[in-house]
Amino acid sequence: MSEVTAKEHYSSIPPERRLVNEKSFFQRLWKQMDIQLMVWPGVVLIFIFAYIPMYGVLTGFMDYDIFTGANIFENPWVGFKHFESFFNAPQFWTIMRNTIVISLLKLLIGFPAPIILALMLNEVRHRGFKRVIQSITYLPYFMSWVIVGSIVMSLLSTENGSINILLKGIGAIDESINFLSIRDYFWAILVSTNVWKDIGFNSIIFMAAIAGVNPSLYEASEIDGASRFKQMYLITIPTIMPIIIIFMILAMGSLLSAGFEDILILAQNPSLRPVSDVIDTYVYRAGLQNQRYDYGVAVGLFRAVVSVTLLTIANFLARRTGNSLW
Amino acid sequence: MLFKRLGYSDRIMIVVIYVFLILLSFTALYPFWNTLVVSLNEGLDTAKGGVTFWPRIFTFSNYATVFDDDQILNAFMITILRTIIGTISAIFMTALLAYGMSKSYLMGRKFFTIFFIVTMYFGGGLIPTFLLIKSLGLMNNFLVFIIPGLISVWNMIIFRTFFKSLPVGLEESAQIDGCSNWGVFLKIILPLSGPVIATLGLFTAIAHWNDWFAPTIYITNQDLMPVQTVLRRLLNANLFNQASGSGNVNSLTLETLGQKSLTAKSIISATIMVVSLPIIAVYPFVQKYFVKGVMVGSLKE
Amino acid sequence: MKNMRKMLFIVTTALLLTTVAAGCSKSTNETKPSTPKNSNATADKGKETTDDKSSDVWQLGSSELEFTAYAHYGWMDFPKKMEDVPFWKYLKENKKVNIKTRAAQGNEAQLMTTMMADDDLPDMIYGNRFDPDILRLYAAGKLVPLDDYMEKYPNLKKWLNANTSNMLRFPDGKLYQFPNWYTSRPNGSAGYVVNKKIYKELGSPTLETMDQLYDYLVKVKEKYGEEVIPYEPDRAVDGQGVGLIYTGFKENAYYRSLNGNTLAVVDDTNNKLASLFTDPAFHESQKFVSKLYREKLISQDMFTITDRGPVQEKLMSGRVAVFGSSDPMPYASAAHLTLSKEDPDAGYFMIWPFHKAGLDKNKIYTGGYDQLGWNVNVITTAAKEPEKIFALLDYITGPEGMVVQYFGPEGGNWQGLDENEQPIFTDKYNADQVSEIQAANNPIMIAGNTAYIDPAKMKFELLKPEEERNWLARYQESVTWKTHIDQTALANNLTPEPGTDLADASTNIIDIFTQALSASSTAKSDEEVDKILVQAEKDAQALGYNELLEWRTQRWLANKKALGQ
Repeated sequence: MSEVTAKEHYSSIPPERRLVNEKSFFQRLWKQMDIQLMVWPGVVLIFIFAYIPMYGVLTGFMDYDIFTGANIFENPWVGFKHFESFFNAPQFWTIMRNTIVISLLKLLIGFPAPIILALMLNEVRHRGFKRVIQSITYLPYFMSWVIVGSIVMSLLSTENGSINILLKGIGAIDESINFLSIRDYFWAILVSTNVWKDIGFNSIIFMAAIAGVNPSLYEASEIDGASRFKQMYLITIPTIMPIIIIFMILAMGSLLSAGFEDILILAQNPSLRPVSDVIDTYVYRAGLQNQRYDYGVAVGLFRAVVSVTLLTIANFLARRTGNSLW
Repeated sequence: MLFKRLGYSDRIMIVVIYVFLILLSFTALYPFWNTLVVSLNEGLDTAKGGVTFWPRIFTFSNYATVFDDDQILNAFMITILRTIIGTISAIFMTALLAYGMSKSYLMGRKFFTIFFIVTMYFGGGLIPTFLLIKSLGLMNNFLVFIIPGLISVWNMIIFRTFFKSLPVGLEESAQIDGCSNWGVFLKIILPLSGPVIATLGLFTAIAHWNDWFAPTIYITNQDLMPVQTVLRRLLNANLFNQASGSGNVNSLTLETLGQKSLTAKSIISATIMVVSLPIIAVYPFVQKYFVKGVMVGSLKE
Repeated sequence: MKNMRKMLFIVTTALLLTTVAAGCSKSTNETKPSTPKNSNATADKGKETTDDKSSDVWQLGSSELEFTAYAHYGWMDFPKKMEDVPFWKYLKENKKVNIKTRAAQGNEAQLMTTMMADDDLPDMIYGNRFDPDILRLYAAGKLVPLDDYMEKYPNLKKWLNANTSNMLRFPDGKLYQFPNWYTSRPNGSAGYVVNKKIYKELGSPTLETMDQLYDYLVKVKEKYGEEVIPYEPDRAVDGQGVGLIYTGFKENAYYRSLNGNTLAVVDDTNNKLASLFTDPAFHESQKFVSKLYREKLISQDMFTITDRGPVQEKLMSGRVAVFGSSDPMPYASAAHLTLSKEDPDAGYFMIWPFHKAGLDKNKIYTGGYDQLGWNVNVITTAAKEPEKIFALLDYITGPEGMVVQYFGPEGGNWQGLDENEQPIFTDKYNADQVSEIQAANNPIMIAGNTAYIDPAKMKFELLKPEEERNWLARYQESVTWKTHIDQTALANNLTPEPGTDLADASTNIIDIFTQALSASSTAKSDEEVDKILVQAEKDAQALGYNELLEWRTQRWLANKKALGQ
């Protein structure tokens, strides 16, 4: 293609009108070949590694014998049998409620927390201090849940647990509270542990976004006498809004993923199951006994359909703000 | 400091922020510090409990146990190689894709977007993916660490959002100077995207470094095993010792096993340190890209 | 919206096309032997075996033996080089055994799935007898039957009780699994361990009945307050110290009754399996446990801990008065060693199990043992020379293989076997070296023979005066071997086949049980215990507990018949 035409073309026409003025489909395609060539390697890679194996979702509608491997059509179709067996599980509604409540809580608290941390760090003008804090707050992300769990347990233990000692010390309670066996406390413990673990790591992306703020905007507003707080919500937050909205949409899509390892470890006590059991922990327990591949596929498929639906709704709502995925 | 120049409410805000950050840092540091301390404490002594801020009986023997594996140096090399090659290639490919996708006049843009997003939620599952990798000849092949992960849809979306927020004037002036879209991407966009490249590069590198799953399925040649997988073996054996003591073993060998389970915690801690310290150390170097005004500076030039 | 629908349509079409393409190309190009059930491969191997019968027995070491081995566990792998383990080095150097290993590195379930889907199985798999994957391999015709080999080679046939081997057989009546740690004699170490120092300080009271246990715990609490945990039941989610108490409230009760895959009590009068939730002894024992919980005489954290780390710490620092566990030995013995080193009066000792007053203390069994052992080795149809692999396993399970694993090669710690095929220890016997050998070989003992090796080890231990004896061995001899009951019939073949309604019922009833166990152990009153268990019974019945129990009764009766009990 000719670079000259492209250059003339793009510099002379406002972007939003470019599609309108073209003639045939192929002509238009040819004109933007350079851009198309940027996209196609990604399309091909995703097609190979994500779409080709997707025939596997069909096993969710079969009694799949693993030994048939890729010859999945040798297996009998069973329609929605596995879905029904999941929906008819006696714990189904408990599981769904817990999944939704826990992931909503994680979203409501876990989503803004790293943004707030990033904004706070942005107010720290001492560069060395800021870097040290940044580096430390992201450490828990690298600790496995097993370790985090054992630390939470020793903190909350009734035998020499720091929290109980503290509460007794200030006279808030007379007797140690067995925190990890009381249903009312579980969601709070789970969500706060999660927030604490991921806050530093998740704030990195917002730190990067804040780095995109034009410093002259701050300078100008300082001259106008704007307070730091005002600068935050008049300059910083609007600048990083697009990335916040995109993250929000993506988060809506994972509303049925309430977590797994964290719950498995913090909800050791079976008495907590009525509040702690979520899709993944249930499927894990059911699978441990029976190792059902097809059942797992079916549950995954159910989750994907719900996720994509929620994502579509979120995207639709977000379009009003001018930021959306598609 | 400029503290004095601030208004009353701003002062309160700054104080609150500093106090909060220091508290958060303390709670964030403690588990890590404790793991480090336990890894440097004699195993049998650790089992008595109460090792918190400082080792009681200092020793390097837990690290000696971890490094007492002829595979580990080779495994480190594999991990470093896959992390560097994998990160650079994936970031380049994903950014290239995202730049193309950021153009509103891209034909089929909406189709492509949905095409990519669908894969974030629908997957083929373990068996078809495994059979695909195998039929592509990627089994026992170093490239299995690199190629399937070249495109990350999540990263692509973030890149795209950032690219969209770049000043339009930049590109236009470059195009007037005779740059093609590729030229703009390579000479203007990439250099301007320091913070986002640094961030997503860090995320990608961490994912590469921490990946233990793929090797267990796709690699049987022990010389290609990355360090996470090799040390996971040690970790699992010790976690098992700690979790269940003896489990399925003959009663007469229980005593040896009991001893092993006692030292498990210290060895687990040393393993965690060896595996995670190198990648943790990357972050401070990335932070210098978060300085404000990187982009504006180049705009003026 | 229209546009989007179009896009979705295109995506779907692309997806379906891919599906069809992938599905079709595979089935046309690859003429993999379809319908794997009862595949030809097994039949071929079977023929081969019959042919072999006429030929000579293969002598281990007479020619090279090379095969691939894989351990189907998340917590252990065969080492990269088997010869890193002394016993396998010995086999390589002296018996020309050369093994290539495959490692799951903690990801065994997924790895096995891919190996099955790809039909790329290792020659030999070492795994848990209860793992559904083993049954799945059998159902797909991927395992080699061992019956003919067993007739040809001496050791397994000799040491494995004929009835026991019947229990190991799969539905087609053939033996596919080479057992590990099978036995005909009691083993296991479940029981109560008492803190020596505290016991003395409290005047060494008699500790025999549950009431005495309660009184003792009250005294501990009075004297030591929060410093000491009166009763530490280990990880109660798994039963452990809570389950032990149940066995003390009924003669001939099985600890196994609390296992999710059994979850039934033996009703001797009607010769059937009955509900656990309606067992009066279970109600009574849970009331006892909840009383301990209410009065803070039992660890309040018993249901919340993930691993046994905190339990270990409490034991090691001497802060536990009584420790009850289905497996107390590893921690208690190590804690005993550490504590008694500092203070000869400190440490732990094991006592005869507690019982409810009025019951016969000799009919109280804190644990059970299973004649079939824990793990098995299976040989897959991928093996080129299955008979040779069997010959190796047979050698390992025999006297020579066992003794070399435990005491090193002949000529060192031992020389020759006596008339009972037990090793004759030499003057050079070095206890430290022996324990080193055992520690090094221990992770990879794939064909252990408890029936043989326990007497062999004990033979040496018993030569020593009692105080010098191994802490563990002493209590095995005096307590645990006498307080463990044969639970083989109650522990095998009671798991419904995956995918069936019974399996679903079982999964859900296990959930009910674990919740009821925890809730009743921490109940606020005796009435609440009854209420919880009555409700659990009701919920379980609604899910088909009765059908499950009936099915299990049939299986259990068949087991007893096979075992000749």
